[in-house]
Amino acid sequence: MNRYFRELSVVGALGAVLIAMAVFAPAFYQPQPLLSLLTREAPTLVVACGMALVIICRQIDISVGSMFSVVSVCAGLLAARGWPLLLVLPVAMLLGALLGAFNGFLVAGLRLPSIVVTLATMVALRQGLNMVRQGEFVNMPDAVQWFGLSQSAGQWLMVAIALALLVALGLAMRHVAAGRFVYAVGTDAEAARLAGIQPQLVTFLVFVFIGAFTGLAAMMNIVQSPQVQPLSGMGLELKVIAAVVVGGVAISGGRGNLWGAFAGLLLLACVAPALTHLHIEAYWEKAIQGGIILLAVVADGVRSRKQN
Amino acid sequence: MKSLLTRLGLAAALLLGSVSGVRAADPKLVVAFLPKSKGNAYFISCKAGADKAAKELGIELLFDGPTDSNAAKQNEIVENWITLGVDAIAVAAENKEGISTALRKAQKQGIKVVTYDADSMPDARSFFVNQATPEGIGQTLMDEAARLLKAEGEFAMITASLTAANQREWQKHIEARLKEKYPKMKLVAVRPCDDLKDKAQSEATALMSANPNLKLIMAICSPGVPGAAEAVKQAGKTGKVKVVGLGLPNENKRYVHEGVTDSVILWNTGDLGYLTIHAAVSLAKGTLKPGAKSYTAGKLGSFTIAGDNILLGKPFIFNKGNIDQFNF
Repeated sequence: MNRYFRELSVVGALGAVLIAMAVFAPAFYQPQPLLSLLTREAPTLVVACGMALVIICRQIDISVGSMFSVVSVCAGLLAARGWPLLLVLPVAMLLGALLGAFNGFLVAGLRLPSIVVTLATMVALRQGLNMVRQGEFVNMPDAVQWFGLSQSAGQWLMVAIALALLVALGLAMRHVAAGRFVYAVGTDAEAARLAGIQPQLVTFLVFVFIGAFTGLAAMMNIVQSPQVQPLSGMGLELKVIAAVVVGGVAISGGRGNLWGAFAGLLLLACVAPALTHLHIEAYWEKAIQGGIILLAVVADGVRSRKQN
Repeated sequence: MKSLLTRLGLAAALLLGSVSGVRAADPKLVVAFLPKSKGNAYFISCKAGADKAAKELGIELLFDGPTDSNAAKQNEIVENWITLGVDAIAVAAENKEGISTALRKAQKQGIKVVTYDADSMPDARSFFVNQATPEGIGQTLMDEAARLLKAEGEFAMITASLTAANQREWQKHIEARLKEKYPKMKLVAVRPCDDLKDKAQSEATALMSANPNLKLIMAICSPGVPGAAEAVKQAGKTGKVKVVGLGLPNENKRYVHEGVTDSVILWNTGDLGYLTIHAAVSLAKGTLKPGAKSYTAGKLGSFTIAGDNILLGKPFIFNKGNIDQFNF
C-alpha cells in the first residue's frame, strides 16, 4: 500500500465533498463567500501547522485556544492604544513564543507530561483573562482591519501568509535536518539521543514554535474584524488537533505530515458551510465532524496493527 | 493581593459606615447591591440606575461583588452584609441554589431580599425583578424583524447553541410569534455559533451565500450580533441583508452607526437597577408586600407584578438614535 495512503484518502474525501457541493449546491462556489471562508480558516491553519509539529514530536498542546485569546486581547489593546500594527505583530508573536516557552520548559525541562501541563496553562490563562476582561470586547480603530489594506487584499494576504507558512514548514520538515529531528524524537527519543540529537531541546523548541504560531494566528484573526472577543479561540485546540489527526498525523508521534493536516483542516472546515448550503439541520455538524475524526483514528489503528 | 487589600479597605469602610450610622441613630436605610461581578460593564450600568434611586430615596447604597463571576465569593459578601446588619439586599445570583442558603439566613435576620437579573430559589427572596420574560424577548425580536422587512421575506437565525435552555425558550417564542402574526415571513435556517463572534461571522457568510433571498439575520446570542454584522459588511450586503439581535450596545455601536445593524435589543439596565433599589427600599419600609399586583417605582411609574416577579416590561430597542447614550 502506498505510504501516503492516509493523506491521499483525506484528499479524496475532501474532493468528494467538493464535487458533491458542485453538483447539489453550486452556490457554494461564489468567490466572495469562498474567499471569506478561507480567510476565516487561515489562522486555524497556522496553529494547525504548529500542532502538527508538536504531535509529530509525540507531545500535545491543548493550551493553544487560551494562548490565542490572551494574545488576541493583548494585541487588540495595544492596537487600540494606537500602536502601529507592524510593531504589534512581533510583540504578539513574542508573547505567544514566551507562553509556549513556559509550556516547553515544564514539559522538556521538568519532564512533566504535556497533556497535564497544557491543561493547567489552558485553564489558568482562560480564567485569568476572564477575570481581567470580564468578557468585555476590545474595540479597535478601523485602520487596524486588514492591516489597513482593502478587504480583498487583506483577505488574500491572510491566505497567502498561511499557505506560505504551510509550504515552508512542510518542506523544512522533510528536507531540513531540524525538521527530521522532530520525527526522530517523536519516533523514539532515546534512539534520537543516541544519534546525537538533544530530544529535550527539540521538545522545548516545538512548544516555542506553536506558541509563536499561535501569536501570529491571533494577529491574523484580530485584523479580520474591528473587535476582539476575549472568548475568541475557545475550542481552537480541539479544532486543530482534530484537523491534524484527521490529516494522518499519528497521535503516538513520529508519523504524518503538514500536507495531510492541511487537507484534514479543509475537510473539517467544509462541514458547517456545506450543511448550510444543503439546508441540513445544524444538529448534524458536530456529529459529522466527530464521525470523520473517529474514522481517521480507526484507520490509524488498523494500519498500525497491520504493521505489527 | 490587590483584591485582598481592596476588600479589607472596603470592609473597613463598610464597618465605619455602619458604626457611624448606628451612633447617629440615623434612620437612613442601608441597601446592599450585589452584582455577579463588579467590574462588568453591564452591572456597572445597572448600578448607575441604582445610584440614582438611592439618591432620590435618600438611602445608603453598598455595592460589592466578586471580581470574577464567582458563586462562593458572592456567599461571602452576603454573609458580611448579614453581619453588618443591612436593611435590604439585592442580588444577581451567579448560582441559583448556591446563594440561596445565605439569602435565607439573611431573611431570618429580618433583612429583606430581592433578586434581579438572575434569580435565586423563590423561597430565598421576596421578589425577583425580572428584566425580561422569554415571551417579551421573543416577541420584540420578531416584531422588530417584521418591521424592518415590512412583514415579508426570508430570514435566518443565529443562536449560541441548539441545546441551551434560554436560547431554545427564546426561539420557541420567536417561532410562535412568526406563525401567529407574519405568514409572509419565512425562517430558512437556524445556525449555532457556540457563543463565538468569529464563528457567527463564518455562519452568517455561509447563510447569505446559501440563501440568495435572505433579507435579515437575527442573532439571539450577544456575540452573534457583531459577528453577523461583520459578515454582512464584508459581503457588501449592508442594507440588503439587515441584522437585528439580542446584544450589548458597546459591542454593536459601530455597526449600528454604519447602518449594518438596525436594532439591538436588550433591557434598559439603568432602569433595572433603579427599579430593583426602589423595590428593596419599599420592602424594607413595608410599603411593598408579597402578594402585591403592581408596584410604582418613582419616576418610572407603575410595573406589573406577576406572582413574585416584578416585570421590568418590554425589552428596550437600541438603534442609531439612542445607542450612544448607553455605555455597557
